Amino acid sequence: MIDDNDLWILSYYRISEISGALFFGRLARSLKPGPIQHDMTKHFSDEALHAWYWTECIEKLGGKPRKLLEAYQDQYLSAAGMPANLMEVLSLTQVFERRVINQYARHSQVPNLPVEILETLQKIMVDEKWHIQWIGDALRDLVPEFGKEVLEQTMKRYWQADQEVYEKTLQEHEDRIAHLIQKRS
Amino acid sequence: MKEKVREKIAAFLNQPPASIQDDAILTTLVPESFLLVELVIELQEEFGVRLMQDDLRDVKTVNDLTAVVERNLQAKE
Repeated sequence: MIDDNDLWILSYYRISEISGALFFGRLARSLKPGPIQHDMTKHFSDEALHAWYWTECIEKLGGKPRKLLEAYQDQYLSAAGMPANLMEVLSLTQVFERRVINQYARHSQVPNLPVEILETLQKIMVDEKWHIQWIGDALRDLVPEFGKEVLEQTMKRYWQADQEVYEKTLQEHEDRIAHLIQKRS
Repeated sequence: MKEKVREKIAAFLNQPPASIQDDAILTTLVPESFLLVELVIELQEEFGVRLMQDDLRDVKTVNDLTAVVERNLQAKE
Protein backbone atom coordinates (compact mmCIF):
# COMPACT_ATOMS: atom_id res chain seq x y z
CA MET A 1 0.00 0.00 0.00
CA ILE A 2 1.26 3.48 -0.87
CA ASP A 3 2.42 5.51 2.14
CA ASP A 4 1.32 9.03 2.96
CA ASN A 5 4.52 10.65 1.71
CA ASP A 6 4.40 8.95 -1.69
CA LEU A 7 0.71 9.72 -2.00
CA TRP A 8 1.27 13.43 -1.30
CA ILE A 9 4.10 13.71 -3.85
CA LEU A 10 2.34 11.78 -6.61
CA SER A 11 -0.91 13.69 -6.01
CA TYR A 12 1.06 16.95 -6.23
CA TYR A 13 2.55 15.88 -9.57
CA ARG A 14 -0.91 14.89 -10.72
CA ILE A 15 -2.62 18.18 -9.86
CA SER A 16 0.26 20.14 -11.42
CA GLU A 17 -0.07 18.16 -14.68
CA ILE A 18 -3.85 18.75 -14.66
CA SER A 19 -3.34 22.49 -14.13
CA GLY A 20 -0.77 22.61 -16.96
CA ALA A 21 -3.06 20.75 -19.35
CA LEU A 22 -6.01 23.04 -18.59
CA PHE A 23 -4.00 26.25 -18.88
CA PHE A 24 -2.22 25.37 -22.13
CA GLY A 25 -5.36 23.85 -23.57
CA ARG A 26 -7.27 27.08 -23.06
CA LEU A 27 -4.33 29.18 -24.22
CA ALA A 28 -3.94 27.11 -27.40
CA ARG A 29 -7.60 27.85 -28.10
CA SER A 30 -6.96 31.62 -27.79
CA LEU A 31 -3.94 31.69 -30.12
CA LYS A 32 -4.03 32.12 -33.85
CA PRO A 33 -3.03 28.97 -35.77
CA GLY A 34 0.72 28.73 -36.34
CA PRO A 35 3.84 26.87 -35.14
CA ILE A 36 3.42 27.94 -31.48
CA GLN A 37 -0.19 26.85 -31.36
CA HIS A 38 0.82 23.59 -33.05
CA ASP A 39 3.44 22.72 -30.42
CA MET A 40 1.30 24.02 -27.55
CA THR A 41 -1.44 21.59 -28.62
CA LYS A 42 1.02 18.70 -28.25
CA HIS A 43 2.24 20.16 -24.94
CA PHE A 44 -1.21 20.25 -23.34
CA SER A 45 -2.08 16.79 -24.64
CA ASP A 46 1.16 15.51 -23.01
CA GLU A 47 0.27 17.14 -19.70
CA ALA A 48 -3.21 15.62 -19.77
CA LEU A 49 -1.68 12.22 -20.46
CA HIS A 50 0.81 12.71 -17.60
CA ALA A 51 -2.08 13.44 -15.24
CA TRP A 52 -3.58 10.14 -16.34
CA TYR A 53 -0.24 8.33 -15.83
CA TRP A 54 -0.10 9.61 -12.23
CA THR A 55 -3.72 8.70 -11.59
CA GLU A 56 -3.08 5.19 -12.90
CA CYS A 57 0.20 4.89 -10.98
CA ILE A 58 -1.41 5.88 -7.66
CA GLU A 59 -4.22 3.40 -8.21
CA LYS A 60 -1.80 0.58 -9.15
CA LEU A 61 -0.04 1.23 -5.85
CA GLY A 62 -3.34 0.78 -4.04
CA GLY A 63 -4.09 4.46 -3.34
CA LYS A 64 -6.55 7.13 -4.37
CA PRO A 65 -5.27 10.52 -5.62
CA ARG A 66 -5.42 13.15 -2.92
CA LYS A 67 -7.22 16.39 -3.71
CA LEU A 68 -4.67 19.17 -3.32
CA LEU A 69 -5.59 22.81 -3.63
CA GLU A 70 -2.35 24.21 -5.05
CA ALA A 71 -0.22 23.10 -7.96
CA TYR A 72 3.36 24.11 -8.82
CA GLN A 73 2.02 26.67 -11.27
CA ASP A 74 -0.03 28.58 -8.67
CA GLN A 75 3.08 29.14 -6.61
CA TYR A 76 5.00 30.43 -9.63
CA LEU A 77 2.25 32.87 -10.56
CA SER A 78 2.12 34.15 -7.04
CA ALA A 79 5.90 34.75 -6.92
CA ALA A 80 6.48 35.99 -10.47
CA GLY A 81 3.32 38.03 -11.00
CA MET A 82 0.93 37.58 -13.86
CA PRO A 83 2.60 37.13 -17.27
CA ALA A 84 0.95 39.43 -19.77
CA ASN A 85 1.89 38.03 -23.17
CA LEU A 86 2.93 34.84 -24.89
CA MET A 87 6.66 35.51 -24.50
CA GLU A 88 6.26 36.00 -20.76
CA VAL A 89 4.08 32.88 -20.45
CA LEU A 90 6.62 30.80 -22.38
CA SER A 91 9.57 32.20 -20.39
CA LEU A 92 7.88 31.38 -17.10
CA THR A 93 6.96 27.92 -18.40
CA GLN A 94 10.56 27.30 -19.49
CA VAL A 95 11.83 28.06 -15.98
CA PHE A 96 9.06 25.98 -14.44
CA GLU A 97 9.59 22.98 -16.75
CA ARG A 98 13.31 22.91 -15.90
CA ARG A 99 12.46 22.81 -12.22
CA VAL A 100 9.94 20.00 -12.81
CA ILE A 101 12.38 17.86 -14.78
CA ASN A 102 14.99 18.31 -12.03
CA GLN A 103 12.46 17.26 -9.41
CA TYR A 104 11.46 14.20 -11.47
CA ALA A 105 15.10 13.27 -12.06
CA ARG A 106 15.83 13.57 -8.33
CA HIS A 107 12.79 11.47 -7.50
CA SER A 108 13.87 8.77 -9.96
CA GLN A 109 17.17 8.46 -8.02
CA VAL A 110 15.37 7.35 -4.84
CA PRO A 111 16.69 3.84 -4.04
CA ASN A 112 14.27 0.91 -4.32
CA LEU A 113 11.60 3.08 -5.88
CA PRO A 114 8.45 1.08 -6.81
CA VAL A 115 8.71 0.17 -10.48
CA GLU A 116 5.35 1.84 -11.22
CA ILE A 117 6.70 5.21 -10.03
CA LEU A 118 10.08 4.83 -11.77
CA GLU A 119 8.50 3.91 -15.12
CA THR A 120 6.05 6.82 -14.87
CA LEU A 121 8.83 9.31 -14.06
CA GLN A 122 10.94 8.02 -16.96
CA LYS A 123 8.05 8.20 -19.45
CA ILE A 124 7.20 11.75 -18.42
CA MET A 125 10.79 13.00 -18.47
CA VAL A 126 11.06 12.13 -22.18
CA ASP A 127 8.13 14.47 -22.89
CA GLU A 128 9.39 17.17 -20.49
CA LYS A 129 12.69 17.34 -22.40
CA TRP A 130 10.74 18.03 -25.59
CA HIS A 131 8.71 20.73 -23.77
CA ILE A 132 11.92 22.55 -22.86
CA GLN A 133 13.12 22.22 -26.44
CA TRP A 134 10.00 23.50 -28.19
CA ILE A 135 9.61 26.42 -25.80
CA GLY A 136 13.29 27.35 -26.29
CA ASP A 137 12.74 27.31 -30.08
CA ALA A 138 9.54 29.37 -29.76
CA LEU A 139 11.30 31.96 -27.58
CA ARG A 140 14.11 32.28 -30.14
CA ASP A 141 11.47 32.89 -32.80
CA LEU A 142 9.99 35.68 -30.63
CA VAL A 143 13.32 37.57 -30.35
CA PRO A 144 12.63 39.80 -33.39
CA GLU A 145 9.30 40.89 -31.87
CA PHE A 146 10.44 41.55 -28.29
CA GLY A 147 14.20 42.02 -28.55
CA LYS A 148 16.96 39.89 -27.04
CA GLU A 149 17.44 42.17 -24.06
CA VAL A 150 13.77 42.12 -22.99
CA LEU A 151 13.71 38.36 -23.34
CA GLU A 152 16.84 37.94 -21.24
CA GLN A 153 15.53 40.30 -18.55
CA THR A 154 12.24 38.38 -18.45
CA MET A 155 14.03 35.05 -18.04
CA LYS A 156 16.22 36.52 -15.31
CA ARG A 157 13.15 37.79 -13.44
CA TYR A 158 11.52 34.38 -13.63
CA TRP A 159 14.67 32.55 -12.51
CA GLN A 160 14.62 34.78 -9.43
CA ALA A 161 10.94 33.91 -8.87
CA ASP A 162 11.83 30.22 -9.26
CA GLN A 163 14.39 30.53 -6.46
CA GLU A 164 11.80 32.26 -4.29
CA VAL A 165 9.19 29.54 -4.93
CA TYR A 166 11.76 26.86 -4.31
CA GLU A 167 12.95 28.36 -1.05
CA LYS A 168 9.45 29.06 0.23
CA THR A 169 7.31 26.17 -0.86
CA LEU A 170 9.00 23.54 -2.97
CA GLN A 171 11.21 22.82 0.00
CA GLU A 172 8.33 20.67 1.28
CA HIS A 173 8.60 18.57 -1.88
CA GLU A 174 12.37 18.35 -1.43
CA ASP A 175 11.98 17.31 2.22
CA ARG A 176 9.56 14.56 1.26
CA ILE A 177 11.96 13.24 -1.41
CA ALA A 178 14.78 13.31 1.16
CA HIS A 179 12.56 11.34 3.50
CA LEU A 180 11.94 8.73 0.78
CA ILE A 181 15.67 8.40 0.11
CA GLN A 182 16.33 7.93 3.82
CA LYS A 183 13.53 5.41 4.18
CA ARG A 184 14.46 3.30 1.17
CA SER A 185 18.27 3.35 1.47
CA MET B 1 -12.83 50.69 -28.64
CA LYS B 2 -14.08 50.66 -25.06
CA GLU B 3 -17.22 48.85 -26.17
CA LYS B 4 -15.26 46.31 -28.21
CA VAL B 5 -13.03 45.47 -25.26
CA ARG B 6 -16.05 45.17 -22.99
CA GLU B 7 -17.76 42.90 -25.56
CA LYS B 8 -14.67 40.71 -25.71
CA ILE B 9 -14.48 40.46 -21.92
CA ALA B 10 -18.20 39.65 -21.79
CA ALA B 11 -17.85 36.95 -24.47
CA PHE B 12 -14.89 35.48 -22.60
CA LEU B 13 -16.92 35.32 -19.41
CA ASN B 14 -20.04 34.19 -21.23
CA GLN B 15 -22.00 37.15 -19.86
CA PRO B 16 -24.01 39.94 -21.53
CA PRO B 17 -21.85 43.05 -22.25
CA ALA B 18 -24.18 45.26 -20.18
CA SER B 19 -23.33 43.23 -17.08
CA ILE B 20 -19.65 44.21 -17.30
CA GLN B 21 -19.27 47.43 -15.31
CA ASP B 22 -16.38 49.82 -16.01
CA ASP B 23 -15.35 49.86 -12.39
CA ALA B 24 -15.63 46.08 -11.93
CA ILE B 25 -12.53 44.65 -10.31
CA LEU B 26 -10.87 42.21 -12.73
CA THR B 27 -9.81 39.74 -10.05
CA THR B 28 -13.43 39.59 -8.88
CA LEU B 29 -14.73 39.08 -12.43
CA VAL B 30 -12.02 36.50 -13.17
CA PRO B 31 -10.96 35.06 -9.81
CA GLU B 32 -8.68 32.40 -11.27
CA SER B 33 -5.26 33.88 -12.15
CA PHE B 34 -4.70 31.57 -15.12
CA LEU B 35 -8.00 32.63 -16.66
CA LEU B 36 -6.98 36.26 -16.28
CA VAL B 37 -3.72 35.52 -18.14
CA GLU B 38 -5.78 33.88 -20.87
CA LEU B 39 -8.16 36.86 -21.10
CA VAL B 40 -5.27 39.33 -21.43
CA ILE B 41 -3.64 37.23 -24.15
CA GLU B 42 -6.95 36.83 -25.96
CA LEU B 43 -7.41 40.64 -25.98
CA GLN B 44 -3.94 41.02 -27.51
CA GLU B 45 -4.69 38.44 -30.19
CA GLU B 46 -8.02 40.14 -30.94
CA PHE B 47 -6.79 43.74 -31.10
CA GLY B 48 -3.25 43.10 -32.37
CA VAL B 49 -1.55 44.85 -29.45
CA ARG B 50 1.30 43.70 -27.24
CA LEU B 51 1.08 44.14 -23.46
CA MET B 52 3.93 43.55 -21.02
CA GLN B 53 3.77 42.61 -17.35
CA ASP B 54 4.76 46.20 -16.44
CA ASP B 55 1.77 47.56 -18.41
CA LEU B 56 -0.55 45.65 -16.09
CA ARG B 57 1.09 46.62 -12.82
CA ASP B 58 -1.56 49.22 -11.93
CA VAL B 59 -4.49 47.61 -13.75
CA LYS B 60 -7.28 46.82 -11.32
CA THR B 61 -10.59 47.42 -13.14
CA VAL B 62 -12.18 46.79 -16.53
CA ASN B 63 -11.68 50.49 -17.25
CA ASP B 64 -7.95 50.26 -16.46
CA LEU B 65 -7.54 47.28 -18.78
CA THR B 66 -9.47 48.99 -21.57
CA ALA B 67 -7.29 52.09 -21.19
CA VAL B 68 -4.09 50.03 -21.47
CA VAL B 69 -5.33 48.31 -24.64
CA GLU B 70 -6.35 51.70 -26.10
CA ARG B 71 -2.98 53.29 -25.26
CA ASN B 72 -1.14 50.41 -26.91
CA LEU B 73 -3.30 50.64 -30.01
CA GLN B 74 -2.69 54.39 -30.28
CA ALA B 75 1.06 53.92 -29.82
CA LYS B 76 1.02 51.36 -32.62
CA GLU B 77 -0.80 53.66 -35.07
